[in-house]
Formats: sequence, structure tokens, C-alpha cells
Amino acid sequence: MMHCTMEDLGALRAGEGSVWARRHIITCAICQAELEALYQRVAQLKALPTLRPPRDRWPAVRAVMNSERARRRRSRSAWGGTLAAAALLAGVLLVQPSILGQSGNLHAELTQAKQQSATLEDSLQHYDVDGRVLSGHCAAVVAELEDRISDIDGTLATLTQRNVGEQDAELVKLWRQRVGLMRELVTARATRARYVGL
Amino acid sequence: MTVSLAVPDVLVARAQAGDEAALEALYRAFETPVYNLARRMLRRPEDAEDVLQETFLEVVRNIKQYRGEGHLWGWVRRIASTKALMRIRRDQLRATESLDDEPGGRAMHVGANLDLERAFEVLSETSRAVVWLHDVEGYTHEEIAEQMGRSVSFSKSQLARAHARLRRMLNEDVGGATL
Ligand SMILES: [Zn+2]
Repeated sequence: MMHCTMEDLGALRAGEGSVWARRHIITCAICQAELEALYQRVAQLKALPTLRPPRDRWPAVRAVMNSERARRRRSRSAWGGTLAAAALLAGVLLVQPSILGQSGNLHAELTQAKQQSATLEDSLQHYDVDGRVLSGHCAAVVAELEDRISDIDGTLATLTQRNVGEQDAELVKLWRQRVGLMRELVTARATRARYVGL
Repeated sequence: MTVSLAVPDVLVARAQAGDEAALEALYRAFETPVYNLARRMLRRPEDAEDVLQETFLEVVRNIKQYRGEGHLWGWVRRIASTKALMRIRRDQLRATESLDDEPGGRAMHVGANLDLERAFEVLSETSRAVVWLHDVEGYTHEEIAEQMGRSVSFSKSQLARAHARLRRMLNEDVGGATL
């Protein structure tokens, strides 16, 4: 004797069974029991305990949110002065990442990456141009870089929360990536600033 | 899990104005249901935590666009399920996870009288996602298909196969029907 498939039972549960299935279920005790078991499983699934997050992820979300807000504020702030910007840009681009290269001193590398990151952040404040001056393409490049930096900030906040040791190579790698992206961001902004003749 | 998460309109309005305390209050209101949803769909707890974080980043970025249509939980849940499904799709591309080849599943269902929670854990992430979204969260097959970028019949057959598997793993012998 042919019985309902699980797909038939699912359709019956949704009130969409085929004519054959709807007729069959009335007379077949086996399929009635299967349909009842399906209802029971669904009821049990709904009754499973609620699983709670093992860690608080709000600090990471807030860190990204605040870094994005800071960048938006900066991009709205006015142009600070061509000469100062040119001088800063020259200084910033001279900061090179791998002086410590193969020294293996992760702590020193981490400190250096953090300092470079801070220097680049500062410099951005001085020669950011008004957001309206950016071309569509340039704005997209800048937004993309800012998003990637925000994502790294979120990951860094998470790692800090997990108390990842300062010697951790992952932390150094992320900070270096951040410095690289910041440098690209500075260049994107500065190139555009020169192009528009500011 | 049945969630009746009513959030006061004034809190939403403050969050939309960028008030950090209000945004955190929204996070506190929804962190557990979002994590639970993601954790039921995904196998690794750390993936569910990442989905929680990604979901709320999107919430804080886009809360201004929320127009109050439907409950806020519906809006947040939609973001969370989309993020979890994106992760499943990405992992499948990376690991070529077969849709019905659950690690350990074959060995486990032979004679093992698992409880439902453990049996559910054994399903593939795609199966878990479809079962959870349909049976627990009440999504329609049309909604699941749209979110997964698959057909309605894919969603229906995944659900049926998952239930057939659950039934076998749970060793429910209610009369010997071959399903
Ligand atoms: Zn039958």
C-alpha cells in the first residue's frame, strides 16, 4: 500500500495536500500517526530552550558605530589649509611600516602600528575636504576604505574583549592592515584635494 | 521560540535620532532572540556571535530607514536571518558542504535514540535553516526561497528531507511507513 511521503505530510500540514493525500489520510492510521508525529516534532522544536549569547557583542558594535560617526563628522569638516596639508601628507607618506620587519618583536610592532594609525587619523582631520567636493568615484573609494577600516575596528574590539594577548600575531596583522588602509584613505583624500585645486 | 518583543515607539525614535543609549537598549532587547535564531541555524557558536554583531551593525546603520511597518522585531529578525543565510552560502562555496550530507549524521541515526535537540544539531546548516525559519519562526516557503535565492520547491523538499531525517534519527517507529 502506498503511503504519504514527508512532502505530502508537509503539504497536508499547510492545508495544501493533493486530492489523493487528503483522501488517503482519512482512512490510513499509519499516515495519521506520521502526521501527528510531525506536529509533535514541530511543537518540540518550538519549545527548545532559548540559547543566549556567551559574550556581550555591544562593545564591538559601538566601537564600529563610533568610528563611522567620527569619520562622517570629519568628512563634513572643512578644508584646513593647503600648505599644512601638503606638509602633513609628505610626513605621513614617509612613515613606513616595516622598520622592525623580521625582528619578531610583536609588542614593538604593535606599538608602532598603533602610533602610525593614530598619526594617520590626525592627519586626516587636517586635510579632509568637504564631502560635497568629492566626485562620485572618489566618494565610493573613500566609503569603501572607511567600511573596511570600520570592519577591522569591529574585529579589534572583539579581540580586545576576548583578552587576546598583545603578543598575538593576529592583532599585529590587523593593526598593520589598518595602517595600510588608513594610508590609502589619506592618499585618496589628498589626491582628490590636489585635483580640485585646493 | 515565540517572541513577543514590543519596543516602545519613543525608544525607536530616539534610536533613529542616533541616541547611543537607545541603540544599546535595542541591542539588549534583541540580542538573545537574534543569537538564538542564528545559533539554531548555524553549527558553530562563534558564527552565531558574528551574525549577532553583523546584524546590529546593520541595525544601527539603517534604523533611520525603518518606517514602523510591522514590528521592529520582524525587521531585525529579517536582517539576522539574511546574515545567517549569507554565511551558510559562503561556507558552502568554501567547503562545498553537501546539502544532505551531515557530518556524523549517518553514523548517529543507526539505533541511536537521540533527543530532538541533538538530532537537529546533526542536520546540515541548510536543513537547519529551512526547518527553523519555517517551523519555528513561521516564514513561508516563498519567503525562505527568496532569502536563500532558491526556488519554493527547493525550500519544500529541504523541509521534507530534514523531517524525514529527524524522524529516522529519533527512531520514531509509529507503524513502519516508508518515508
Ligand atoms: Zn498511509
